[in-house]
Amino acid sequence: MRRLTHNLPFWGLLPAWLLMGFALILPILIIAAVSLATRGSHGGFSWDFNLSGYSQILFNEGWSGELEFTPQYLLIIGRTYLLAGLTTLICLVFALPVAWYISRQSPGMRALLVYLVTLPFWVSMILRVYAWMIILGKDGPLPRFLENFGLAPGTSFMFNDGATLVAMVYTCMPLMVLPIYASIEKLDLTLIEASHDLHGNRLTTFRRVILPLTAPGIISGAILVFVPSLGAVLEPVLMGGGKQMMMGSLIQLQFGGGRNWPFGAAIAMVLMGLVMLLLIFTALRAARRQAGMEATA
Amino acid sequence: MKNLFTASVLALCAATAAKAEGQLNLYVWAESFSPELIEKFSKEHDVKVNVDGYTSNEDLLTKLQAGSSGYDISTPSQHFLRIMIDEGLIQNYEASKLKAYELIDPRWKNQWWDETQSYSIPVAYGTAGFAVNTNEYTGPLDSLSYFFEPEAPLAGKIAMLSYPDEVVGAAQLYLGVPFCSEDSDEMKKVYDLLAAQKPSVAAYSSDNIASRLASGEVAAHFWWDGEELKARVNGAPFAYALPKEGLVGWIDSMVIPNGAPNYENAIKFIEFMSEPENATEQMNYYAHSSPMTLVADKVVYTREKAPELYPEVPVEFSRTCSPAAQDLVNRVWTQLLQ
Repeated sequence: MRRLTHNLPFWGLLPAWLLMGFALILPILIIAAVSLATRGSHGGFSWDFNLSGYSQILFNEGWSGELEFTPQYLLIIGRTYLLAGLTTLICLVFALPVAWYISRQSPGMRALLVYLVTLPFWVSMILRVYAWMIILGKDGPLPRFLENFGLAPGTSFMFNDGATLVAMVYTCMPLMVLPIYASIEKLDLTLIEASHDLHGNRLTTFRRVILPLTAPGIISGAILVFVPSLGAVLEPVLMGGGKQMMMGSLIQLQFGGGRNWPFGAAIAMVLMGLVMLLLIFTALRAARRQAGMEATA
Repeated sequence: MKNLFTASVLALCAATAAKAEGQLNLYVWAESFSPELIEKFSKEHDVKVNVDGYTSNEDLLTKLQAGSSGYDISTPSQHFLRIMIDEGLIQNYEASKLKAYELIDPRWKNQWWDETQSYSIPVAYGTAGFAVNTNEYTGPLDSLSYFFEPEAPLAGKIAMLSYPDEVVGAAQLYLGVPFCSEDSDEMKKVYDLLAAQKPSVAAYSSDNIASRLASGEVAAHFWWDGEELKARVNGAPFAYALPKEGLVGWIDSMVIPNGAPNYENAIKFIEFMSEPENATEQMNYYAHSSPMTLVADKVVYTREKAPELYPEVPVEFSRTCSPAAQDLVNRVWTQLLQ
């Protein structure tokens, strides 16, 4: 009996472990293994150990046939991070006031607004991107609207980095609003009053009181937006015109037209490794902050 | 180890894969088969037909390489069909012993992609090239130069496919570089051409082509003859360029992937699609040429009505490239979109 209760945490968590194991860890292990395999001549791979998947990220044969340093993949990785970072930043700037506004409403209104924020999730993501293609596209509502004011007649806002960013911010916004809202809702308003009583102006109150107390929500929102943005394929291709590759389309190309699965798997591992570093970094910071708070308490 | 991989994929799929009798799972080019014909087959043979679509040969190849797909019929183009035979991804169903074999136009029998005609029965053929929106562009269409070295009004309003396959082929035709060239100097020229064209390209995309071109978002799009034809006869202001440098040719054939759960039904379907009446109806639906025997007076897309299906310019069929040549194609594409 004692033994059983002792083991209860193990057996109780078993379904979760199985799910993690089969749906997450096993596929990652397979990708890791493929990244170390040898490419097949027409795609596919054979299980011969080979590091060329990784070395190709930095070194490739040039047009002259000699192995040379190729910055193009680093460029793609850098561009992907820039796009994800910008998306996160813009989402944050918009989400903070929205979350604040929602949290200041009556409970009924709050529920309605939160529901409205989650509403886009009910529609397939590809449809939402298509909607933006129509809005920004030639003769779409936005160009027409601007034409009324004599601005930019006949232009299309499609197929550039701005269009990509609009769609990315739009699809990711709820993921930022909801966690921030959750942490603002719990914010004790008397603390803000206390700050004002102590002659803290609006900026100081925001910086020294509101920001630290909502930081957990902001951090989880930022992670929820940043990480999927790194793997975005749809928006850069459909909205940006696919003129500059992102990591997502680069990986896709290697498994498709590139017929170089180990290389594709290696890029996927690098993408994942960079994400893991980021998560570990934030987790460590959170732990330090926690420890700091407990020490002062 | 590879078996273990396949086995685990299989195990995961087993729960969902349809294995019941009276089923047929098609994995074919998106919207390529006439729904009426599928319905007719379904009724005649009491078979439930499931259709999934793909938009590039690469997608199909990757899916078949990943292990048992659960599909009974696929329709790769000739250069991918060759790879699938060589890599052992599809079944030898002794196609040459079927009735369908006798109905293949002799021009398309026993070609390099399936010399013994054991693995495939062709179903459609056509070309890839540039289509234009005639509201946006009324200039000449007789050369690839208008598209690869565009000037106003085409500059900035051209869209290419998101895969190198046929796009690189067209660039090679324009430059006179042989398909599947292993000469990196020649391929560097291809890259230079595409890189110089890039500032004039609005998008590299294989999805949503018809509406992108119809809306005037772009004035020219790399496309396929039948898709352009179908939209044109339905009233879209399109035209298909027949350039003197030539067009990239393709022919799609019905194959049976390894591990197909409904082999018998697949054979029945191949025979069904090849009957002259059905082949004609299929061509009238798909608007691509048929390599099969047709009922001549029922063909809708005749030479008069559909000149794009009867090009008088050279048509060069894509070939199966060696890995070295394929790597050069990829280098062109990755550098282009880096």
